[in-house]
Amino acid sequence: MTRKLKNYIGGEWVEASAEAVIPVENPATCEIMADCPDSTADDVNQAVEAAVAGFEEWRRTPVLSRAQYMHHFKNLVEDNFEKISQVMVMESGKTIDEARGEVRRAIESIDYAMSVPVLMRSDGLEDISSGIDETTIRQPAGVFVAITPFNFPFMVPLWFLPTAITCGNTFILKPSPQTPLSTELLFEMLDEIDLPEGVVNLVNGGIASSEALMKHPDVTGVSFVGSSHVAKIIYETCTAQGKRVQAQGGAKNYIAVMPDADMESSVKNILGAAYGCAGQRCLAAAVAVGVGEAYGKLKDELVKQAKTLQVGYGLEETTQMGTVISGAAKERIEKMIQQGVDDGASIVLDGRGKVVDGYENGSFVGPTILADVKTDMVVAREEIFGPVLSLMKADSFEEAVGIINNSHYGNAASIFTSSGKYAREFKYNVNAGNVGVNIGVAAPSASFPFGGQKDSFFGDLHGQGMDSIEFYTERKIVIERWI
Amino acid sequence: MASLNTFGAILTYAIELEMQIRDYYQTINNSERANAADKRRGKLERVRRENVLEITLEPIEGLDESNYRLNFDDTSEAGQNVIETIAARFYEDVAPSINVRQAQRALERCGKEHAKIVIS
Repeated sequence: MTRKLKNYIGGEWVEASAEAVIPVENPATCEIMADCPDSTADDVNQAVEAAVAGFEEWRRTPVLSRAQYMHHFKNLVEDNFEKISQVMVMESGKTIDEARGEVRRAIESIDYAMSVPVLMRSDGLEDISSGIDETTIRQPAGVFVAITPFNFPFMVPLWFLPTAITCGNTFILKPSPQTPLSTELLFEMLDEIDLPEGVVNLVNGGIASSEALMKHPDVTGVSFVGSSHVAKIIYETCTAQGKRVQAQGGAKNYIAVMPDADMESSVKNILGAAYGCAGQRCLAAAVAVGVGEAYGKLKDELVKQAKTLQVGYGLEETTQMGTVISGAAKERIEKMIQQGVDDGASIVLDGRGKVVDGYENGSFVGPTILADVKTDMVVAREEIFGPVLSLMKADSFEEAVGIINNSHYGNAASIFTSSGKYAREFKYNVNAGNVGVNIGVAAPSASFPFGGQKDSFFGDLHGQGMDSIEFYTERKIVIERWI
Repeated sequence: MASLNTFGAILTYAIELEMQIRDYYQTINNSERANAADKRRGKLERVRRENVLEITLEPIEGLDESNYRLNFDDTSEAGQNVIETIAARFYEDVAPSINVRQAQRALERCGKEHAKIVIS
């Protein structure tokens, strides 16, 4: 019988009240690994009650002690590094190296939270008027929620949780029902560090639990990472209720390749950007724009290198690209490839119908390259979220930047060049929240905010960095006179 | 087909290599070399954990483990030297293909340690 996952509420593992479950499938082997409960509003209410009840004691716990919990937590994550990585491969289909990289990035966020005692400090000014002093203090704001996606099931929750609780808030996580197993491990480790009851809570489920969390009056703020369509709904719902919200949406990330770029090394990095995590990341390179004579060279080199990528089960160390998340995702991606062909793109590398020996039913899509893509094609405008790279040609640097800035998304954009002038102009003019220069995946480290503009982000304060301290604290201004 | 084609494949092969070398020296009662191999194994596990950088993961070409197979049946001094020579060559070959300098440095150092045993 398949194991049914539990929620973690008020310091205990509890059965969800929901009868309905969502099967958790290994996308390579098709094995059903667990059943994820589709938690209801009742389950959410329990979690929020626990978080509210835990808040007063937790906010009074000294910040240095709160940070100390993060030291213990980090040690446990390091001790379980391989186990977490392997579970993530099994639930999400990524490669073992990608999973290890994800755990590493997650640890960076725990490290960052250890700096909260410094980052939460505020400032003051004596004698703003005779004998009157004014100071700012930061206080925790209450109960925070994160609703997180399947593609980075361990890292994204930790963009939020460590900083939120070290700032003194209590927290509820609602992970993707497609990848709840690494989150279960995460909460087993949090359970081991003996946080007070209600500080961290886990509610497994889908839309019903997300809606209940967004609408609960005792929830102060919500962080979300997922598609733009849902991000916008979450932003509108939460702001209508007066909540803080940071909603990171989808992307269509462009890479401009200048004729002066070192083509071989650039393509190597672009391959990682386009096909890492089988293209299922909000920073994935989706469109490469070759400028002038770079276009032909870029196309040839990309095809040459991409067709050698070893596609397979992510637990095998030699696998260079794993599966997409599900059979449904594979079908959707393959349909979008066909749409690109129907719209006039030439398919110079076709990953459709990819079958891997030993995993014949796995959700594999091979690296795909669509050339001669035009700005009005669906594959140039909409997110595919799969291992598909579209190639476009621009006659000049200015035209390339224009193409990029016409996108309704603004998550990331990169340039490959050996010219400081073009790099500078690109950074200056491109409308994207994360900008790469000779880096295909412009992923900010934990001490910087994760950018995002236009339809890629809804909100004011981003995840990570000082923005997260602002998001998770309330500022109070104190004006005092004692003489 | 190149089997050492990812960061993880190279580091995992290096870890397994050191484990085999440790076991080999244990069976011939050379605890000094066994301990040194086990220390390198521990270091390499840490290197694999701490230096895998998602944004620079790139395919690696031209390296295959078949070029670094060791014969553990030969326990003579000459046999030990062959093992150390191959291990040193392995690290020398793979280090440049790793694009994280800290990891590269750790691999280079492992190679130097093996080379030193051959010279001594």
